[in-house]
Amino acid sequence: MKTDDERLLIEAAQADPARFVELYDRNVDRVYAYVSRRAGSRTVAEDVTSEVFEQALTNLGKFEWRGVPFVAWLFRIAANALADHWKRQGRDSHELPPDVPDEREHQDLERRVSLFQLVDRLPDAQRQVIQMRFVEDRSIREVAAALDRSEGAIKQLQLRAIDTLRTGMTERPAERSGKQGHHHG
Amino acid sequence: MADQLLSDRLDEVIDALVARSDASAALGDPELAPLARVAADLRHYPNRDFTAHLRARLERRKTMTTATLAPGVREGFTTVTPYIWVPDRGLADFLIRTFDAVETRVDENPGHGIHRELRIGSSMVMIGETGPTDAPARPQAFHVFVPDADATFARALTAGAMSLGEPEDRHYGERAGFVVDAYGNHWYIATALGPQSLGHHLRTVTPYLHALDVDGYMKFLTRAFGAVEETRAEQPGGVIPYARMRFGDAAVEFGTHPPMPGAYFLYVADPDAVYEQALAAGAKSLSAPADQPSGLRIGFVEDPLGNHWYIARPFDSR
Repeated sequence: MKTDDERLLIEAAQADPARFVELYDRNVDRVYAYVSRRAGSRTVAEDVTSEVFEQALTNLGKFEWRGVPFVAWLFRIAANALADHWKRQGRDSHELPPDVPDEREHQDLERRVSLFQLVDRLPDAQRQVIQMRFVEDRSIREVAAALDRSEGAIKQLQLRAIDTLRTGMTERPAERSGKQGHHHG
Repeated sequence: MADQLLSDRLDEVIDALVARSDASAALGDPELAPLARVAADLRHYPNRDFTAHLRARLERRKTMTTATLAPGVREGFTTVTPYIWVPDRGLADFLIRTFDAVETRVDENPGHGIHRELRIGSSMVMIGETGPTDAPARPQAFHVFVPDADATFARALTAGAMSLGEPEDRHYGERAGFVVDAYGNHWYIATALGPQSLGHHLRTVTPYLHALDVDGYMKFLTRAFGAVEETRAEQPGGVIPYARMRFGDAAVEFGTHPPMPGAYFLYVADPDAVYEQALAAGAKSLSAPADQPSGLRIGFVEDPLGNHWYIARPFDSR
């Protein structure tokens, strides 16, 4: 994201909270990817991600532009929210990886964000299989029953989906430009 | 068929990934490894129902934050006004004798008790008198700034209150004494000491809500009503001895104590929308928004601590 664009978006949202969803659209996958690495379960990842954006909306007026990417501010809120979560669970926050992502983690996160957006663009049947297998934790048998196909056909669909994603990821650097904020389609 | 086999092998890897067991064997298989890596990342793919739902909630809340700040407040009142339920007029007398409260309105509703409004300095307090046979009192706690805490403390005792703590210079920039009235309400009677004191920022009466999980409760109030955290003190172990939030033009304070569930009016621009938002945040409906004979449209909810909120707006000011 161009930093100038981002700055304008933040200022727009500070003046009019209705614009906050644009910041949400641009950052939700990154924040989710960051939290998900640390959360240990989907429920916790979702709770903490909600918390991050609720707090960001509440405190947006306090965000001061100093050239630091907005997402870094969101990561810091996320790190605190995760630490709070572990504290409530009676666990030591020392178990957490370092708060601030290093260069390597940034690359990992960006890779995942690209992957998530490729999943959103899969043909419906393939996307459904990914959703059921990975999000809903359903077995091949359950997916086959739900979609009224054979187990073999679902496995083929699954393979095709993941192969499409793999190809997309290989082509990623050339393909990425001009495809911002696409998800939720 | 090689492809058939690959689809089976990939499926076994996915089963292992989903079960969080060891799938690293796949990395030795050159055909399978690149697919297994994609599959490992897919475990973190966000549920799009979740991201869409959160987006909708944030979109609703932006309206709410604006709504709570918009002019739905009754003239002379602030966004949050306490509503104290007691059996009889003794509380009104106590407030008049202790704080020089001025009664500004009395409505007798046959069969529904008596409704009173009193002004104390720059704040309003409402009282509902249920009569002796009705529901028990719902005592609350208040932080009250007065010119001379010692004198007011003495008047409170004369008017029938009991001391919870003699007036002293407190480390947080106040001289304060604490009393409990005959109905169980707590009054933290304070005089500002020095320029840093809260007394210069707060109105005469500020509701002081007790919660055991102050952090969790404040998060609820943000989600439900768009309240904004202003400050918090935090002790090791996460205990929050003091915090403050802003609701529109009103402040509400918090401390870590067992809850004293009371009742509050919350004036907003759009009671229907805020009512829905409160339910979505986890409040329980006590009655859906409706126009009341008092000239207010009111939605009524109970929050997770048992506090009652009358989400209101005068309907002639729409």
